[in-house]
Amino acid sequence: MKLDLFNTTAFRLSVAYTLLITFAVAGTLVGAYKLTERLIDDELDLIIDTEVKSLEEKYARSGVAGVTDEINLRIESWGRIGGVYMIADANFERIAGNLTSWPFDGMPGEPWPQFDITTIEPGRRAVHPVRAAVRALPGGDLLLVGTDISQGRRFAEKFRLATLWGIGLSALAAALAGFWFSYRLARRVDEVTRTCQRIMAGDLSSRLPLAGVNDEFDSLATSVNGVLDRLEDQAGTLRATFDSTAHDLRAPLHRLRTRMDALLLRSPPLEPAVHESIESALREVDQLQRTLATLLQIALAESGAPLAAAGTVDVSELAAELVELFEPVAGERGVQLACRPEPQALVQGNRQLLAQLLTNLIENGIKYVPAGGNIEVAVRRLAGSVRLVVSDDGPGIAARDRARAAQPFARFAPGKQEGSGLGLSLVAAIARLHRGRLELESNHPGLRVVVELPA
Amino acid sequence: MHVLLIEDDTEAARFLVKGLRESGYSVDHAADGREGLFRATEGQFDLVVTDRMLPHIDGLAIIELMRRKGLTTPVLVLSALGSVDDRVKGLKAGGDDYLTKPFAFAELLARIEALLRRRSSAPQATRLQVEDLEFDLLARRVTRGGREIELTARELKLLEFLMRRAGQVVTRTMLLEGVWDLHFDPQSNLIDVHISRLRQAIDRGSDHPLIHTVRGSGYVLRTDS
Repeated sequence: MKLDLFNTTAFRLSVAYTLLITFAVAGTLVGAYKLTERLIDDELDLIIDTEVKSLEEKYARSGVAGVTDEINLRIESWGRIGGVYMIADANFERIAGNLTSWPFDGMPGEPWPQFDITTIEPGRRAVHPVRAAVRALPGGDLLLVGTDISQGRRFAEKFRLATLWGIGLSALAAALAGFWFSYRLARRVDEVTRTCQRIMAGDLSSRLPLAGVNDEFDSLATSVNGVLDRLEDQAGTLRATFDSTAHDLRAPLHRLRTRMDALLLRSPPLEPAVHESIESALREVDQLQRTLATLLQIALAESGAPLAAAGTVDVSELAAELVELFEPVAGERGVQLACRPEPQALVQGNRQLLAQLLTNLIENGIKYVPAGGNIEVAVRRLAGSVRLVVSDDGPGIAARDRARAAQPFARFAPGKQEGSGLGLSLVAAIARLHRGRLELESNHPGLRVVVELPA
Repeated sequence: MHVLLIEDDTEAARFLVKGLRESGYSVDHAADGREGLFRATEGQFDLVVTDRMLPHIDGLAIIELMRRKGLTTPVLVLSALGSVDDRVKGLKAGGDDYLTKPFAFAELLARIEALLRRRSSAPQATRLQVEDLEFDLLARRVTRGGREIELTARELKLLEFLMRRAGQVVTRTMLLEGVWDLHFDPQSNLIDVHISRLRQAIDRGSDHPLIHTVRGSGYVLRTDS
């Protein structure tokens, strides 16, 4: 499995944080920008307001002529830089000032109108924005006081650029940090995932790597490794228990069989009747041995011990071989055994165990399907798995019994007492060992056993 | 033929030694792993039969040490451990065959015979012949008395297995392992049915049947007297 960074929680989280940081930085900087702009405007307005007031006072004292003198004085000598003045009559005709004509179309509507002026400076023409205040004087004349705001504008422009850069850079930094962080996080989680997959595939000796930085991942890895140590230990103990159980039960069975074998080979030979009954007892011993072997196999599979001796198995090929093997026996009982394999149905598994699974299903069919019936073994490739279906048109298993059919020693067909009653349990155990699943369904009529194995 | 039996279960060993001697083998018995290893590496044996779980030295370790010393003596492993990977481990360690306890003595005998014969047989033969039954291994053609016999691929494999071991008893489990590569015992009388089909094809209408049933053991393909 490839590391899919964009699909990780860490990545989504870092995207969210990047957006959050970007919004926060943008909010702060835009706020500061707006506030600064306001402050600059307010200060200019205060200056203009003061001048308007002093000129209004001058007008009150000495009329239009006084204001004209004052304006000319300010323009020519000691006025502030960037000052714009004008006094005009009621028809907006210029009386005095450093503007050539009334810049508005009539009286401006807003309290702080803005307009552009073109100044003639040595060697060049420049356009300057101006912010102004206009007052109607008591005599019907109009007074305009403004100021060149191009410097403030330039400052605001720079501020705006700086703000945008700030937002952009902090977003970029947050995104890079987020990407790096989520990549690192995803990689470490991915390591855990891979190790767990290896362990599930049966390698109980795998351990999570430690970065050696004592972070939360190291402590998680240490804990998981601890769990794995215990699991491995338990699997080992279980394995040893199974081995010694197998040994302790098989050894006396072996001695028993050996003794009986010795009787059969004795010379002079035994009476035929005795010989016969010993042979029949031997068959019972063999059945006992088979049941024991099956039980141990089920127990081992259920213990969660990893799959041994696994390789690539073509289920179709195996099914075809087993159908071919069983076909004559089925034929003898008047049962049609057919196979519908889809080629290249490959799974990772143990050939012997999968053969045992198929054998049990086919043998069950042959055992329960009456003469004239049919058994079909079908293998299909699905996306990511292989589906094995063994279906028959025999008596089937009643719906209420199907759930426990795969439990050990469950028998349903009355009168049929041959076999160990472990067949389906072993099938279930082998399926589970291959991380597959087993399902029993009605075949309308008959039984349909579906085994799905991951490819 | 000189056989070394390494087995710590004294009662089972006593019977096996007796049975093998009665079958014409000369048998040495070692009762634990250490003695077994010593005898196996020092003595001149045609075959070693060893239990897997032994005191002192494990049966698989004995085989590994034997192989490391360059000894190619065939080894048959007896074991009360019968799971699939136990078998695989046994064969990986250098064992030539693996038999799970409990087993029938006849099974053991047949396998010992097979291992001993395997050494002397020529596997690169391209033609097998028993009496008037001929098997052209390259063309996969079988004739009996010049008459061609139609067989399926599996029947050919079964017949080849029997003909390569002509005159030698072959058990049902040996057939399942050798012809079908199945290492467990199905409940059904599968092999009997397949043999009877093959027998029909080979021996039908002949005065000299070649495939014979050996009661309590299995089958043998041989010229009957």
